[in-house]
This record gives sequence, C-alpha cells and structure tokens, in this order.
Amino acid sequence: MIPIAYWRNRKLYTRLIGSRCKRCGAEYYPPVKVCKKCGSVDLEEKEMPKTGTIISYTKLTEPPVDFKDYSPIYLAMIRLDNGVTVLGQIADAESEEIRIGMRVMATIRKWTEDGQNGIIYYGYKFKII
Amino acid sequence: MSKVYIKSAGLIPVGEHWNKSLTDLMVEASLNALKGQDGVKIDRIVVGNMMSGYLNNQEHLGALLASALGMKGIEALKVEAACGSGGMAVHEGYISVKSGDYENVLVVGVEKMKDADTQVLTKALAMAESADFTQVVGASFISLNALLMRMYMNKYNVQEEFLDYFPVIAHKNAVTAAHSQFKKAFTLEDVKRSPYLAEPIRLLSSAPSSDGAAALLLSSKPSDVEILASEVSTNELMISQRENPLKFEATEKAFKKAVEKAEINPSSVDFLEIHDAFPIVAALSLEAMGYSAEGRAGFDAANGKYNLDGDLPILTFGGLKARGHPVGGTGVYQIVEAYMQLTGTAGKNQVQGAKLGVTQNVGGVDTTSVVHILRKVS
Repeated sequence: MIPIAYWRNRKLYTRLIGSRCKRCGAEYYPPVKVCKKCGSVDLEEKEMPKTGTIISYTKLTEPPVDFKDYSPIYLAMIRLDNGVTVLGQIADAESEEIRIGMRVMATIRKWTEDGQNGIIYYGYKFKII
Repeated sequence: MSKVYIKSAGLIPVGEHWNKSLTDLMVEASLNALKGQDGVKIDRIVVGNMMSGYLNNQEHLGALLASALGMKGIEALKVEAACGSGGMAVHEGYISVKSGDYENVLVVGVEKMKDADTQVLTKALAMAESADFTQVVGASFISLNALLMRMYMNKYNVQEEFLDYFPVIAHKNAVTAAHSQFKKAFTLEDVKRSPYLAEPIRLLSSAPSSDGAAALLLSSKPSDVEILASEVSTNELMISQRENPLKFEATEKAFKKAVEKAEINPSSVDFLEIHDAFPIVAALSLEAMGYSAEGRAGFDAANGKYNLDGDLPILTFGGLKARGHPVGGTGVYQIVEAYMQLTGTAGKNQVQGAKLGVTQNVGGVDTTSVVHILRKVS
C-alpha cells in the first residue's frame, strides 16, 4: 500500500464514490474521467448504493505480501443495486456459508497496516445481510 | 511492406536456474538463437519482460542485453504487457521488420522469478491489475481467475473436473518435451487431490513460477517459417467493469484480425499454443477463438479433441502449466515452439504434417491479447 495513494482515494474507499455520466446516465466504480458508454467527459461524482448481490466469490489462501497476515481472504464480485459491479472482500464469513446470489451490504473494515507503527488502512468490505 | 520470417530460434530449459542471473538467461537464449548466424547484422533488440524491476532490481533490459552481447550501439528496448510481454515483444519485432526499416531483429522474452519468495511474487503478478482499485482489496491475480471460473461453472453448470482436463493435457505433453519444467504426467485424480489456492483453482491447475528465456531472430529475408499475422487487442482493465466477464473480447478481436490479415480458414490450423495460465483461461480462450462452443471447452478437452493426437492439438510442449511460465518469456517460448513444430524439429512432440500454427499470449485476465499466425514456407 502506498500511503499517499491511499490518502488520495480515501473518500472512494470509505464511501464508494464513483461517477455518473451527465449525458447518458451510466454509473461507474471506480470513477472514470471518460464515459465508456458514450464517450462524454462530462461526469459527476456519484455515491454508490451500499447493497448488492454476490455474483462470484473465492477463498484466497495465498494473498499478496501486503495482506499476508489476513489469510484467508474471501474475495467477491458484487453487483450493486444500481448495476455497477465491484470487487471486494466479504467480512466475517467462512467460505462454506457464501453463495452466489446472497445479499450483502458495504461496511467499513480494516484492510491492512504498515507494520506495528505504520498507517492502518481502512476501506469497504461487504457483510452478508 | 516487408514480409516477416523467423530465421532462427533458441531457448533454455524452463525451470529453477539458481546459478544463473536474469542477464545470463537472456544471453544464453540469445546465443542459442544466433548459433550459425555469424554474418547476420542485427538492427534492433526487443526484450519482453514484466517484473525485472520489482523482482530483480533491474530495468533498462534493452541496453543491458545489447551490452552483454557485445552489441553496444544497437537500438534496444524492453516492452511490457504483463504476462503478454513476450508476445508483445514479438509483435514489436514483427512490426519493425514489416515496416522495412529493420532487416534483422532479435526478440528475447525473459523472466527470473525463483529469486523472489511467493508472497512477493504474488504481489508482483497482481501489478498487472489496478493498483488503486484491485490490489488494494487484497486481490491476487489467481483470485480474479478463480472468480471467473466460479462464474463459468455456475453459468454453464460445468463441474470443476471438466476444466481440469487442461492441466492433464499439458502435463502429458510436457513429459517428452526436453525444455519443459515438469516432465511428469498427472491424472484428473491427482489434480483433484491437490489443495485449493483460490477456490476453485487448485495447486495442480495453476501455472508455476519459473525462470526462463527464449529468443527469435526475425528477418525480412525469406526463411523456413513466415509470420503471417501478429495482432494485439485489449479489454477493460478490471474484470468487474466488463459487460460479460466470461467473454474474452481481446482474444476474440485479436484472433479475428489475425485470421483476416493471414487470409486463412481457422479450421485449417494444425495446432494451437494457448495461454493456459489456469484452466478457465484455456477454456475462455478456446471459446473466444471459436474452437469450442461457449461452456463446452472442458467437454471438448475431456473428449480428446485437444490431445497431441487429437483434431486440434494444444499446448504441444506442455503450455504454461507444464512447460512452465516464465512470465515475460512465455509468449516467445510459444512462438519458438510453433517454429519447432513447423520446421519438423519437435521430436516426440511433433504434430504430424504441421503447416499452420496459432499462438495466443495474454496479459492480465484477457486484458491484453497477442495472437500470432505462423506458416511453414513450402
């Protein structure tokens, strides 16, 4: 994790701020500068809905080095209620209970930290509801 | 516009080269390719590599290799497209020869992975994906492929074991391939007994980490093998932003463009070297190229279609899974292997009567796809 990059994106990571195209209405997370549907560059900030449905998931036993203390990680693709798909971890779950089609809600959790005296990084994870 | 031929090719065995550096690997593969080519004046060197900066504290591979080969003064550069770096390096070599500005171009693909420990390597591979939005949530490269594999199994109602025929085919072919990393055949039961790394992807269904380098001398002077087409396409960087994540659009487009440029009928292809990093990647690639119907690639594999003696042999020396996957080297290995098939020098792995071959090398999850079509010059 790069501290300044985290700081730059803190609002996105904690509130799921994406973007909405003012011309065609398409919504995105992460935010974009150019609309992928109509090519417009006239977009505005848009907060994503916090509930959605699991469309796929996996239990990751060998996460990248920044997340090694948090193994296993339950990673999922979530289709939010506005149709935007996001990647995120499922919090408080064992793989055995996760199913495609389950309803989830975004919540704020610890992602990782830079050692004992470093920054603690917080961001969204999803909880089964 | 010039035509582009492969004048010669060289490689080193894929594996664990503890006694060799990144530079040693590149030099050795280059010298193997240049054997018997003493009078040839090389105009350009293109190196394909993904992770030398992060894993080996080394960038600037173009000048590094030129210098190590005693060729200072020559134009040289590195190209990067994640796991597709090798294929992209061949593409870069191809367009330079095709332009008519360069007569002979040396293309080298290399990766030195075994010096790094697994978690560092996992992070390095994840750099193919968005730092700000994919890496931050703890996703590894394999986990993204696992998400696709579960979606695929769910959508087409396919059991895991049908996809796991791909590593079985790969390992069977690698047994007799002199340069392969694993000369051991597996059964479907062996794959099923291995642990999950990211459900539903298992240890024995994942490409390994490897050290390796392969090299090609491309030339506008007619030779035994012609590169008929070299095409590249890209897909949305994040799988979550794709309308249909189970459609490998980059591979579909690159393959379609290549077939048009080469003016071939896809059904006349004698063998395919595909990017089988994971079984799901093999399946979605074959489906994107139209060789299997959607949701059917695993069944076709189970029925023997893709065996070395089947209708359409794939992974003829073991593919990424069993020949090994030195990331930036892989795309060049594929084309060296196609060259061996087309020059009748594939030994026990020879596809009889091979005249036309296709290679497909992917960076990210079909984020960049590089397709080459090669023909034996009669």
